[in-house]
Amino acid sequence: MNARALTSEVLLGIIPIALAVALWQAISSFGYAPVTLLPPPGLVFSRLAQQLGTSNFQHEIASTLFRLFAGFSIAVILGVGIGLAAATNPVVNAVVRPIVRVLAPLPKVALYPALLLLLGFGHESKITLVAADALFPILLSTYYGASMVEQKLIWSAMAAGTPRRQILFKVVLPAAVPSILTGCRIGLVISCIVVFLAEMISSTDGLGHMLVTAARTFQAVDMFVPLITISLLGLILNGLLQGLRSYLLRGFPEV
Amino acid sequence: MIEIDHVSQIFRTSGRQAHLALSDISLTIEDGAFVSILGPSGCGKSTLLYIVGGFVSPTEGVARVKGRAITGPGPDRGPVFQEFALFPWKTVLGNVMYGPRQQGVKAAEADAQSRRLIEMVGLKGFENFYPKELSGGMKQRVALARTLAYHPAVLLMDEPFGALDAHTRTRLQNDLLNIWERDRKTVLFVTHSVDEAVFLSDKVVVMTRAPGRIKQIVDIELPRPRRRAELLLDPRYQKYVVEIERMIDDTSEDGLRP
Repeated sequence: MNARALTSEVLLGIIPIALAVALWQAISSFGYAPVTLLPPPGLVFSRLAQQLGTSNFQHEIASTLFRLFAGFSIAVILGVGIGLAAATNPVVNAVVRPIVRVLAPLPKVALYPALLLLLGFGHESKITLVAADALFPILLSTYYGASMVEQKLIWSAMAAGTPRRQILFKVVLPAAVPSILTGCRIGLVISCIVVFLAEMISSTDGLGHMLVTAARTFQAVDMFVPLITISLLGLILNGLLQGLRSYLLRGFPEV
Repeated sequence: MIEIDHVSQIFRTSGRQAHLALSDISLTIEDGAFVSILGPSGCGKSTLLYIVGGFVSPTEGVARVKGRAITGPGPDRGPVFQEFALFPWKTVLGNVMYGPRQQGVKAAEADAQSRRLIEMVGLKGFENFYPKELSGGMKQRVALARTLAYHPAVLLMDEPFGALDAHTRTRLQNDLLNIWERDRKTVLFVTHSVDEAVFLSDKVVVMTRAPGRIKQIVDIELPRPRRRAELLLDPRYQKYVVEIERMIDDTSEDGLRP
């Protein structure tokens, strides 16, 4: 895609967001909702700008980001590792498959009370929940990517002298990268959602905690600030992942 | 020398039906010979090639290279596939360097060798391109260079030009012959094109429709180096083509008989 097409695509993408903000502004301007309950966007954004400078708010963002990254990283390491092992080893596959089938559809949030009791109210319980939720899309897409590797790529490498035990890292893993990254993208979005949710349920800091505290004290503006922040964070993280993706997949046909 | 000794191959299909792909094939290929395996699709000719490659084990019989039974793939037998099978995450140079690096050749030396090979197959200037940026013909040139790079004694070519347009195909056939005439590797070449088989080969093995059997082996006694334009006018060439096409027609009818 050339730069011009990219620019016009970005512009097109901004339109619906701008419309949503405009609708939000209209609802509060025309008095459909009282300003105390639905503050106008201008107020929220200026509050956000002001908050970004405070060390308190920076601390909340840092806590959330730390949990998000830690959980997501664990999910990537476990998901890719288990996915590759299951795709290449029938015994591992036989063990992993039923566990995945049972655990994947389970709402992991339901485990959160148990995690709180086991791991406490600190980072550990939230990181575990994020990892548990982000794990499955990454594991499944790694498994399918690694299972679908073209047989003749493997044959070509073996004929060139690659021993069978090295095929996993020399051929299967690099060939599965497009699929793995698709799983990571889904896992990242899920991580954003889950870290926020976990902080809302029980926490002493983080963006989700900020929202709950604001809601309990009817501080409508402060309720919207963490919401906007988490979606901006999601946007930035997704952009970074997209950048990594175009670098790693520079040789692969467009997907 | 490659010896294929009473080789049969049975595939189990989904309905637990046994499909006999190859039936009792025996064939000897001399060192330095260019041998084509020709037959209708589904006659098991690619399977025969995969058995020599060590990618597939025969259900019965044995295949040998230099007197030793084939138990798996090895760098003495280099495949070139119709689907190119290039590594999409590596550049042209990275693909060609893969084999020498696996063989333990030092990076600088592998780099220099690979650049020479890329030049030989006519792709100088494309070293840092990715396969997706190349045309089909160029991809197959890279695949050939990648295989030549680890110096296999035998080239196993599985309908290598089957996915290419007629013009590109002709050019690649000429270039393959030029390269082959330099070092005379043993080539086992699977194709369904009679022209291609006669033009390239010393020997054409004509196979029957499934189950694949050897119908006849035709020695092509045409002088080398071969020039396509001259050959097309040569009555001996025309005679070979007509003779082999008749055999193939016969085998098609064999298949239709109840």
